[in-house]
Amino acid sequence: MNNQSWVQQSLALFRKDLLAETRTRVAFGAMGVFSFSALLLISLAMVGLKGVMLQNSTGQSVPAWNNSGKMSLLWVLLCFAAFAGLSHSFVYEEETGTASTLKLHMMPQAVYAGKLLFNTTVLLAVSLVITPLYMVMTGMEAGTIPMFFTVMLSGTVSLSAVATVVAALAARARSTGALFGAVGLPMLTVLLVLIMNAARQCYIRSESAVQYVRPVIGIVGFGVLIVTLSALLFHFIWED
Amino acid sequence: MSLLPITLSARGVGHRFGARLLYREISFTARNSEVVAITGHNGSGKSTLLKIIAGLLQPVEGNVELQINNTLTDPAHRSQYIGFVSPEMALYQELTAVENIRFFGTLRGQHYDKAQLRAMLENVGLKGRGSDRVGDYSSGMKQRLKYLIAVMHDPEVLLLDEPGANLDVHGTKIVERMIGDRRNAGRVTILATNEPEEEHWADCSIPVAAV
Repeated sequence: MNNQSWVQQSLALFRKDLLAETRTRVAFGAMGVFSFSALLLISLAMVGLKGVMLQNSTGQSVPAWNNSGKMSLLWVLLCFAAFAGLSHSFVYEEETGTASTLKLHMMPQAVYAGKLLFNTTVLLAVSLVITPLYMVMTGMEAGTIPMFFTVMLSGTVSLSAVATVVAALAARARSTGALFGAVGLPMLTVLLVLIMNAARQCYIRSESAVQYVRPVIGIVGFGVLIVTLSALLFHFIWED
Repeated sequence: MSLLPITLSARGVGHRFGARLLYREISFTARNSEVVAITGHNGSGKSTLLKIIAGLLQPVEGNVELQINNTLTDPAHRSQYIGFVSPEMALYQELTAVENIRFFGTLRGQHYDKAQLRAMLENVGLKGRGSDRVGDYSSGMKQRLKYLIAVMHDPEVLLLDEPGANLDVHGTKIVERMIGDRRNAGRVTILATNEPEEEHWADCSIPVAAV
């Protein structure tokens, strides 16, 4: 088993998962169906809000359907898509009986790393398709372009880290739906708050770079924390 | 093939699932070339004992040790020296036989060229079926492929849970030949079975009975 380093083992698992996904399309199918139907619903629901102005607490007129609001809904969409698609990554191994075979052949850390890499790739691909479509359909602007890309990238990777560890926990508990929500919600809440905080910054002009960097550090730091803790504790989840 | 001394020892192994005690005080030692049969009724815990030997499950009591060349192997890395065929250990249905072999081979640091793959498949009676998806295989063909993957790294210890499951007469002969080859190569084979014919392949039997 350990003739190979965990890096090589995780890359082999990543390649295997990609190959299997091209044939079964389990993750892409689940995420695609959810994303496109949600995208359509959001677009239709928001048609009536285009051009509507509201007065804020200071008496200023602001659009009812502004960029920050659109960005929030985009992340809600991506979150649900991630949890709909990525939950299969470990459940599938347990249900088909291949989890035991992997346990015999692979180091636990390699399994985690391989699955994280695969989930991140899938989520980035979905995000790459959904985000431009969403922007076209809702008229959402990118705001400060470098900030927008940084938030999208760091947010997607961190979201994938959360979804991966929750998927592993849920698969082992054999009560997928309930545990997925119970364990995922606290982590997801923190992540969404951090992402929304950073996303708002895309639409605020600031001379200070710190104003842009600080919220991104929050997302990246949270992602690193989740990945580190998951990697350290994964063998407790994975092994019987 | 090396002829390093191999000693697999189980000492006072006991296991329970929740409040249900499965068994206690299972002890045995298997050395080079030995074939040991673990026997017992359905639900007696034979498969669980194999998982404990493989290091996939921790026993509640006792321990299992594997010494190779008189050196104790790290329990966390024991599975490196083990091949395991079990109904609970499935292969990837959506991948072809060759893709499964390549994937599990890569995990063990082994790479095979086309000629080697052809020979390996022919050895278990799957000649010309390497490009078929495992999901399209019959249960007997899947079992043959499991054997191929379990022994392709020439493990010091081979664990067989219900070795003849789903196999036809030809398949059973392949397994019998494989066990013979391993015996000649000085390897250890442990099989869990209820079948008297399969028990005859072994040098000794360890009866397991639920407490």
